[in-house]
Amino acid sequence: MDPIVTVAGLTKRYRLGKDNYVDALRGASLEIARGEMVAIMGPSGSGKSTLMHIAGCLDRPDSGEVHLNGRRVDQLRGRALTTVRGREVGFIFQGFNLIPTMTALENVALAAEYAGASRRDAADKARSLLELVGLADRMRHAPTELSGGQQQRVAIARALVNDPAIVMGDEPTGDLDTATSAEIVGVMREINTERGTTFVLVTHNPEVAEVCDRTIHMRDGIVEAVTA
Amino acid sequence: MGVVRNVFKRKMRAFLTIFGITIGVFALVVMGGLAEKLNLLVDGGVDYYKDKVLITEGGSGAAVLGSSPITTDLVAEIEAIEGVELASAEVGMVLDDDPTAVTFGIPPMIVGDDLRWLEIPDAALRIADGRELTVDDSGVAVVGADLVAMLDAEVGGTIELRGETFEVVGIAEKTLAGTDTLVRVPMADAQRLFHATLPAALQDVLEPETLALQIVAYAADGVDADELATEIAASVEGISATGPEAFQAQVVDSMAMFNTIIFGVALVSLLVGGLSVINTMTMAVAERTREIGVRKAIGATSGAIMRQFVAESAVIGVTGGLLGLGLGWLTTLALNSAGDASATALFEVTTRLALGSVGFALVLGVLAGLYPAWHAARLDPVRALRYE
Ligand SMILES: Nc1ncnc2c1ncn2[C@@H]1O[C@H](COP(=O)(O)OP(=O)(O)O)[C@@H](O)[C@H]1O
Ligand SMILES: [Mg+2]
Repeated sequence: MDPIVTVAGLTKRYRLGKDNYVDALRGASLEIARGEMVAIMGPSGSGKSTLMHIAGCLDRPDSGEVHLNGRRVDQLRGRALTTVRGREVGFIFQGFNLIPTMTALENVALAAEYAGASRRDAADKARSLLELVGLADRMRHAPTELSGGQQQRVAIARALVNDPAIVMGDEPTGDLDTATSAEIVGVMREINTERGTTFVLVTHNPEVAEVCDRTIHMRDGIVEAVTA
Repeated sequence: MGVVRNVFKRKMRAFLTIFGITIGVFALVVMGGLAEKLNLLVDGGVDYYKDKVLITEGGSGAAVLGSSPITTDLVAEIEAIEGVELASAEVGMVLDDDPTAVTFGIPPMIVGDDLRWLEIPDAALRIADGRELTVDDSGVAVVGADLVAMLDAEVGGTIELRGETFEVVGIAEKTLAGTDTLVRVPMADAQRLFHATLPAALQDVLEPETLALQIVAYAADGVDADELATEIAASVEGISATGPEAFQAQVVDSMAMFNTIIFGVALVSLLVGGLSVINTMTMAVAERTREIGVRKAIGATSGAIMRQFVAESAVIGVTGGLLGLGLGWLTTLALNSAGDASATALFEVTTRLALGSVGFALVLGVLAGLYPAWHAARLDPVRALRYE
């Protein structure tokens, strides 16, 4: 297997007070192959988001190793971490998290501009990705003028705009109804198949996990089981 | 991206914050406009006095007013003094013969002189329309730029000066200095008008033809006008002679104080506006914590976040600055045109004042945005994303 993400023995402790802390991760390990689409499931508070943030270069572990796309990243900090995150990882969130003052096109282009694209190139890329997710006729709309499903499609396009090796979704269908949820997972599966982009989706929805290749089960800060 | 839209998303708050800057810049423009106009008058004065000595009656020998009046006969005596290039006699009086009229600034004046100074190169006033006076003229006038509207003057037309009718032969070019509020008439006419203003007792004693109020002595090339003043005072009885230093001491120094106070007041009000920008930007950063997390998650560097918020703050500053400049400028125009009737254009919004005010608002916006933007830039993306 050609791993795109390898995580070994990750720990992360959040201090809440002087003698008060939470061990969000207690030695989590996993491997995700290039081109896979995997689900991460587990009870609330089991460390799914923390694991995803660390694997996606948004955060740093207290100990353990993270390899992303052939490169060790757990020691990176500051600007180096930001650069890897911007180029190699695309994030999708539960609440869509589009910037409300920008149109769909501008939201997608913004991520490309942050990665260093010129305004023009960024807009071109954004346009073709919005077409890919079926929003060719909604590019100039503000997020508030779009349905939840449409907003999440914009977020998918934004996650893809820098051609990342991996897209990570933290409960990306959590705010959507069943039908829309299936539709959005379908869009991601299609992109996964056609472009070979790796997807990792944290979800509580078994129907989402059903569509994925494998499911990683977490409990109390460790990976408890992996099912196919 | 979206800098301007972000600023105006919260309309009421944006309006109030921008208004704070607008008031500050407005104050700076209006009060600065007043200071600039007075500065121009003073500069004009400094320039006028730099090589001249003004001789008026008085001095140690003068007992009572009019007991030793200056006469045109003194011109020859003063010109004989070494270092005097030329001397020229003048008579002047306020234009308005209503003693109850109150004007702020320099009141319009009627002035007549012997025109001998026309021989000095570059001394002549530039004439915008018509011609300069000549020694053979009588019953004619050259009107200062700021008096044109008030007197309804045009070349070829006539104006009333203290009950007498004068033909306008020229309109002087605007200098922004004291000469803008002068009507210049031939010496003999001015002497006659002035003579009529004197108390009856004096009218009998004094001949209008030799009346003078002051004599202007032009220092020869290379002669220090202040030293010349001392020398003239020493060699002529009953007069006082003042050189450029006296003007400098009285006017320029108090002007510096005035400038400091005026700009100080305006700057304080601008700084208050700046504080409200800091407040607004801090609130914006707090409200948009989650957005900042998202921006970082999709690859924004700390620098990019910083620039975003500083840019938004700068937009507030510049918008407030431009509105304040516009409002201030319109206000000075309105006040100046209200003052037109009495020829008191009190405000001059100079280019440097305009650019300086808006530039200051921009700098203030940027500075006010720095701390909130820095705060935003160093937010931990994970915490920011979890923020509700
Ligand atoms: N920034 C933080 N500060 C304190 N505790 C945190 C922080 N982030 C996460 N936690 C805690 O760490 C644990 C794991 O959280 P998380 O990774 O969000 O779990 P999940 O995504 O599986 O619900 C939880 O108990 C959570 O409260
Ligand atoms: Mg979570």
